[in-house]
Amino acid sequence: MSSPLARPRALAVRRLFSPGLLFALPFLALFAVFMLWPLGQGLWMSVTDASLSAHAPSFIGADNFTEAFKDAEMWRALGHTVWFTAISTVPLVVVALGMALLVHTGLPGQWVWRLAFFAPYLLPVGVVGLLWLWLYQPDLGLYNHLLDKLGLGRLAWLSDESVAMWAIALTTLWWTVGFNFLLYLAALQSIPDPLYEAAAIDGAGAWRRLWSITLPQLSRITLVITVLQILASLKVFDQVYLLTKGGPNNSTRPVVEYVYDVGFTGYRLGYASAISYIFFALVVLASAVQFAVLRRREK
Amino acid sequence: MTGTPVPVGRPALTRRRALTAALAAGASVLGAGALSGCGSAPAADESTVRLWDPFSGADGGLFDDMARTARPDMPGTRIERTVLEWGTPYYTKLAMASAGGRGPDVAIAHMSRLAGYAPTGLVDPWDLDLLAEFGVRQGDYADAVWSRTRYKDATYAVPLDTHPFIVFFHPEPVKKAGLLTKDGTLDADAFSSPKRFLAASRELAKASGRQGIAFGYANDTAQGWRLFYGLYRQTGGAFTLPPGGPAEVDPDRMAEVIAFMAELVGDRANPKRLDYPAGIASFTNRQTAMILSGEWELGTFRAADKDVGAAPMPTVFGTPAVYADSHSFVLPHRDHPDEEHRRRTHRTVAALLKAGQIWAGAGHIPAYGPITRTRAYAGLLPQAHYKSAQDHVVLDPSVWFAGAGSDFQNAMSQVLQQALLNGLSPDRAARAMVRRLDTFLAKPSPA
Repeated sequence: MSSPLARPRALAVRRLFSPGLLFALPFLALFAVFMLWPLGQGLWMSVTDASLSAHAPSFIGADNFTEAFKDAEMWRALGHTVWFTAISTVPLVVVALGMALLVHTGLPGQWVWRLAFFAPYLLPVGVVGLLWLWLYQPDLGLYNHLLDKLGLGRLAWLSDESVAMWAIALTTLWWTVGFNFLLYLAALQSIPDPLYEAAAIDGAGAWRRLWSITLPQLSRITLVITVLQILASLKVFDQVYLLTKGGPNNSTRPVVEYVYDVGFTGYRLGYASAISYIFFALVVLASAVQFAVLRRREK
Repeated sequence: MTGTPVPVGRPALTRRRALTAALAAGASVLGAGALSGCGSAPAADESTVRLWDPFSGADGGLFDDMARTARPDMPGTRIERTVLEWGTPYYTKLAMASAGGRGPDVAIAHMSRLAGYAPTGLVDPWDLDLLAEFGVRQGDYADAVWSRTRYKDATYAVPLDTHPFIVFFHPEPVKKAGLLTKDGTLDADAFSSPKRFLAASRELAKASGRQGIAFGYANDTAQGWRLFYGLYRQTGGAFTLPPGGPAEVDPDRMAEVIAFMAELVGDRANPKRLDYPAGIASFTNRQTAMILSGEWELGTFRAADKDVGAAPMPTVFGTPAVYADSHSFVLPHRDHPDEEHRRRTHRTVAALLKAGQIWAGAGHIPAYGPITRTRAYAGLLPQAHYKSAQDHVVLDPSVWFAGAGSDFQNAMSQVLQQALLNGLSPDRAARAMVRRLDTFLAKPSPA
């Protein structure tokens, strides 16, 4: 196998770079400029008193971090992020599985279902925000209209502290469940038919086949979906910002929005960077735990 | 993005909205009347003064009229407006542009934000001699307003207006309740103590056959604070905020004010649980005889009742004080300002100030004295009736974290809302406010 680089004048280059590295160079360059450099820059900012002002930042050591650890509002925002992750991840996995099973069992009109379940995922967040703001309108929104029809009390969907986060989770479910649904559908279609045939010969009914073959076969993809979903939910910001701006009384403000508020409203870029890094550590920790679990299962 | 391992949805909404707002609504070139794009590089064109402002809607139209009227006073100068959406991000954009030295030539900012701006070096001081040359002097301004423009012996803001928090009323029910004086102004005596104020609200409810006084504050990021701070300053209580803390305030008087506010919105005579738009609606639909509101709603109220009356916030706690803010002109920082262009900018601002009569149409009190002393202004009703508010204005505390669109106002309003809506006792609310104040003070200033 001779690579196109195996020409005399490229020999020197070839010693330095393997072809693989050459192919990866454009990506690596972009990665360095748009990921590594800002990461480093952010880390540097987090140990300075950098701000949106005309003054040069100066090094202040771990001051930002000690302040952050004492900052009740930061812990509260972190708590909201974790809480949102908890109440959004479970339905986003379970509902996606339910949808995929329904479609897979061969409901008539396959493509309609697939499109209907996946379509919301294609909408930009701005559209989703506007749409659901109308749906949640206390006086003329569809949901309160339905509650009225059912004879139930109206809800202040986005202005009641005990309801707002659930409303955001509901919006998120509708918007993004389609992606997980597709992953499940693909996994379902790759379960080998002989397994089902053998089970049928042994006299297993539909429920038996579901419990003993389908779900165990899906356990790996479930784990993958859960991992991806937790990481995605931790990063929540845009739908909260559009629906409640973090209110009422900051009760839905996730940590990402707190970073935004501290940095861009309060101009304290250094402190905002420090909080970002604390959050980053949390995400890394969550990922590490998940990968450890994944690897244990592989064995 | 949630639920997405791959970034699919484009979180470009805010950027796009800002662009749309800037390009569609703003970027109109007055003076020449032609439309041109808005770059944020220093003006390529000598004769163009680039201005950023948050005036959309009716205010935006009036500002355009004002610029047109000012044209003879600034021959050869074109103003290029960029209208940005008003709100917290407005100040973020202004700060970012200024920090990079790529801001506009001049911008509108709330005076209450100056304490956060001037020390950070984001804005440059005005040249008072230049302004005087174009006919604008310190003596043309109310002391209460001018004193806030200063930082370290320099003037960093030139006020365009003051916009106080006042009362609007429908004349008939107020007259029927016997609360109007002979010349058609509000009888301030009838509101001169918490007890009297509450009694007056019941009289108004009786006279209107519906309800007395509206105040929309629920879920609002500023309204609760606006009313509270104006009233608190009437008690003569201290509100000193030294860097690092603790706050030097009087919790007993704070509690007294909070108790009054809670009684007012909790009284059977007045509507409960109003948010901002509901407050406006209850007054324009004549469900209430009176509303506590910023004067910037004048246009809305007048459309609903052409005879709508207004008065400064009555003195309920002894010392006259009216909560207000002020739109003022600031000079975004330049490392090497162009002398000639700076001169042109000063001239432009002076010309705009002299066309302030038009701005009064929006309800705002022009800050430039020669305007409010004219007969034309005296003939503007109800504006002339609350002009006296500017002699007793109190702006937000002069600290970096306070001011219009700040997190601080929101934090205070949230505590107040718990007292007004959810039954938190006034003294506990006062203590909670002091705790939040101390938290803000403990944070280092970004300057």
